[in-house]
Amino acid sequence: MKDEPITLPLGEPPTKGQMIARFGRDLVTDFDLDDPGFNDKFDETLDFLVRKCPVVHSQVGRGYYLINTQDDVRRSAQDWQTFSSAKGYMPNRPEGMPYLMPEESDPPIHTEWRKVLNPHLSPKVSLSYEQPIRDDVNELIDRFINSGECEFIGEFGALLPGWAFFKNVLGLPIVDLAMLIEGVEEGTFSPDLGTRARHFGNVFAYLEKHLRWRSEQSERDDLIGTILKGVTYDNGEPAPWEHMVSILVDLTFGGIATTTFVMASAIHHLATHPDQRQLLIDNPAMIDNAIEEYARFFPPLVALGRTCTRNVEIAGTEIRAGEFVMLTYAAASRDPRHMEDPGKIDLTRTGIPHSTFGVGWHRCIGSNLARIELSTTIEEWLKRIPEFSVKPGTEPVYVTGYLRSMRKLELVW
Amino acid sequence: MKMKIDEELCTDHGRCAHFAPNVFRLDDDRYNADRGGIVEISAGEEKNATMGLKSCPERAISIVEE
Repeated sequence: MKDEPITLPLGEPPTKGQMIARFGRDLVTDFDLDDPGFNDKFDETLDFLVRKCPVVHSQVGRGYYLINTQDDVRRSAQDWQTFSSAKGYMPNRPEGMPYLMPEESDPPIHTEWRKVLNPHLSPKVSLSYEQPIRDDVNELIDRFINSGECEFIGEFGALLPGWAFFKNVLGLPIVDLAMLIEGVEEGTFSPDLGTRARHFGNVFAYLEKHLRWRSEQSERDDLIGTILKGVTYDNGEPAPWEHMVSILVDLTFGGIATTTFVMASAIHHLATHPDQRQLLIDNPAMIDNAIEEYARFFPPLVALGRTCTRNVEIAGTEIRAGEFVMLTYAAASRDPRHMEDPGKIDLTRTGIPHSTFGVGWHRCIGSNLARIELSTTIEEWLKRIPEFSVKPGTEPVYVTGYLRSMRKLELVW
Repeated sequence: MKMKIDEELCTDHGRCAHFAPNVFRLDDDRYNADRGGIVEISAGEEKNATMGLKSCPERAISIVEE
């Protein structure tokens, strides 16, 4: 880690009694990302962590730490030698699950892959998908606009990112999207680790079949063609087939469920704040910046993991080599040391220092595409459905683990 | 106003050039083209440049004290 001062907690550290009274458990020594209490008190818990508990520990399964302040998260994410990705990003990873390249690797393997993959999702290339994505937004809205209501997740939010990624970027059919969405959701949130592994297996098998088919066609220089062309590792060997399959799996995991959450949360915020909706309708140029604030406040990746390669001390807590550490991006984006009033959604906030798309060499490869999906959605939605609200008697349903997802959002207009 | 671009921290998020396209340029590999160097900010561009600086998730851009 760089030689900088250790981040100190704001205010007094909490007592065990205070935490049990407020959260039903001792967050510092007994944290659990999958606790329903964390799902219910999501914002409150994150604010508590980032302000008072810079490092906490979980006793669940093989155990893991969470690092919570923006400076510590950033420095740890940038220090890949100390915080390795080679043993995966999930806490208590299901046994036998293959590692996902390049996300679950370190340089030089990671560097070789990102060098050839990044150009396919650069700002410029992503911009070339803007019109087709905008057309998809309108096609989805066409399906339900006249009925005066929709269930946003199932009828729009879960579909658009899948269409954008499979149809436009991968050139894959979208007929099997429902299976892939279920595989990613259940593989992430199922309370049973065996069920998680089985759903991940389905996604692997489906994408491998497509990759196999493409490898028998003539060569192309699109994203899948680039994966198939492969890279050479530092031992002189070509990347193995399983790594190529896992890249497609990794991109799919990253590309579909995550953007859905930011999108659905933004639409929910606009549904419940008519003045903010009017602000964006009157000033569409503000949408670009509003997306950054929505991404900051509604992070689909709560935390991603690393494995310590040596003993380190963070904010006074010693973490030993071999321990699993989660970088709590969601807490880091609410750090009062770096912004005013982080618990408030302020669409006029500028220069937003968030870590929703990650930090360091593993930063999200699809952030540019995600931003286009978000901006076209908000722009077209507000043009076509300027007045809308949450269906009376309903409220959004959330599920949280190391990812956060919205399962249901009923809207009327 | 001058800003310094850290040589090692840039990981091509591209946010600086998005908010201040007249200040920050990206090279062919989409990294800040002035990595390891110092950029002179003209008077009219200070606001955009500051937004680019603040938006960098890596804190790769800093103001050079004169």
